[in-house]
Amino acid sequence: MREGGRQEVLPRSVWLASIPLALYICVPLLALLFVVPPTDLARHLASPMAVRALWLTLKTTAIATLLVVVLGTPLAFMLARGSFRGRGLLDTLMDLPITVPPVVAGVALLLAFGRRGLIGRQLDVYGVQIAFTSVAVVMAQLFIASPFFVKAASAGFEAVDARLEAAARTLGASRWRVFWTISVPLARPALLSGVVLAWARALSEFGATMMFAGNFPGRTQTLTLAVMSALESDLETAVAVSVLSLALAVTALLGAKWLAGQWRAPLA
Amino acid sequence: MRRLSFVAQLAALLAAGAAPGASAETVRVFAAASLMEAFRDVAALYEQQHAGDAIELNFAGSQVLRTQIEQGASVDVFASADLVHADALKTAGLLGPYKVFARNRLVVVVPAGSPRVKGLQDVARPGVKVLVAGPTVPVGRYTTQALAKLGAAGLYGDDFQTRVQANVVSQETNVRAVLSKVLLGEADAGFVYVTDATTAAQKVQVIDIPERYNVVAEYPIGVVTKGAAAMQAKAFVDLVLGSEGQAILRKYGFAR
Repeated sequence: MREGGRQEVLPRSVWLASIPLALYICVPLLALLFVVPPTDLARHLASPMAVRALWLTLKTTAIATLLVVVLGTPLAFMLARGSFRGRGLLDTLMDLPITVPPVVAGVALLLAFGRRGLIGRQLDVYGVQIAFTSVAVVMAQLFIASPFFVKAASAGFEAVDARLEAAARTLGASRWRVFWTISVPLARPALLSGVVLAWARALSEFGATMMFAGNFPGRTQTLTLAVMSALESDLETAVAVSVLSLALAVTALLGAKWLAGQWRAPLA
Repeated sequence: MRRLSFVAQLAALLAAGAAPGASAETVRVFAAASLMEAFRDVAALYEQQHAGDAIELNFAGSQVLRTQIEQGASVDVFASADLVHADALKTAGLLGPYKVFARNRLVVVVPAGSPRVKGLQDVARPGVKVLVAGPTVPVGRYTTQALAKLGAAGLYGDDFQTRVQANVVSQETNVRAVLSKVLLGEADAGFVYVTDATTAAQKVQVIDIPERYNVVAEYPIGVVTKGAAAMQAKAFVDLVLGSEGQAILRKYGFAR
């Protein structure tokens, strides 16, 4: 990653000008760590509310991330390699969940998949109701998080030299085989960092979940909703759950860096 | 009305700029979500009567407002939907003496035309989706109390409370979130204040909870001790407690 950016000795003014933002990001995150003493932290995290929220969050984000990969990979490949009308439009559309406020996404999901929604109305006839269930939590996460994977993956596929794929084809490999033995391995760092980014975004999902899935311990109360609920009764528990979320986020980031280092693209 | 107050504010701003020391104040009022419409009217009236002053309203669940005040939010007036949160702030020295200015009671709202819930007994029927506010929200606590009373009375079976609670699909953070999701038709029934039901009269059916099983919600109002505009805050509280403020509250269905 570094090869591109030339490293040089920078003047002190640049150093000084960089400090404020770095501090601004650092200080609040550190503040989270100092409010609750470590021993109490463990006690708060062992509370049924925190345990249930953590378990639900891990479960729903794992499923959402899996769905993002399964459904997002073909789309990303198509955006990278396909030439068709409306490609630009589709590309922009896939960015929308990043820019649309999550709570708006929640309202939209409700109006589509809610009991009186466009699609939800049909499902309701068959007795399928999504809103206020763990399925709704996963759907909210899928909606919000998928662009992060699709963008990264499609950039990854685009960076793969198309001539390599063409060469493999002329040697008799099927499209499927070319995809698995050429495209995916070469795009792997991008794919993996996309997975981690999408997972991290799913972890932090709040607005759409609150709107579409509601707030019920063990069923739809994820870590972020637990923080909000706890904040109303018990600041220490709220902070403890926040620290846990921060730990997960740090894990995600370090994981992404480590993965990217482990699997550098063979020819990159 | 809004334009008038905007012009008034503008004039006040200009006046303040021209003559330093002119007392144009912004009064920050933190009020329970259920007070939304009523307090908007009271605020407009206040701004009319006190040219130059502006009221800034912030509505949320009382428990959220309390936490914000505890964490140092700059507020002048606090109007809660129960005594618990007001008492907690008073004990902490953050709220001055308060007075109860309104009372409210619970009802069940059902989407208009919904066949699923016709009476209180239906709320406990398996498969009915019920919305309540969370246990820290005043209306959520009142709901639990009313359900306990209904259960103890044995009108709809001893396990009425358990069965209703098994039907709860979400614990929302304020009463208006309960109402709007019922309005969207996503839930079959929601426990809200009678005053919330009045704000959506055409779109919901209201199922009454008989008085002896109901709970009386008491709304206290007081001046926050660390507020910046103590005099204006007091004037706003007086307006709420006075006949004009009370008339507005009555209009929205609050009782004295």
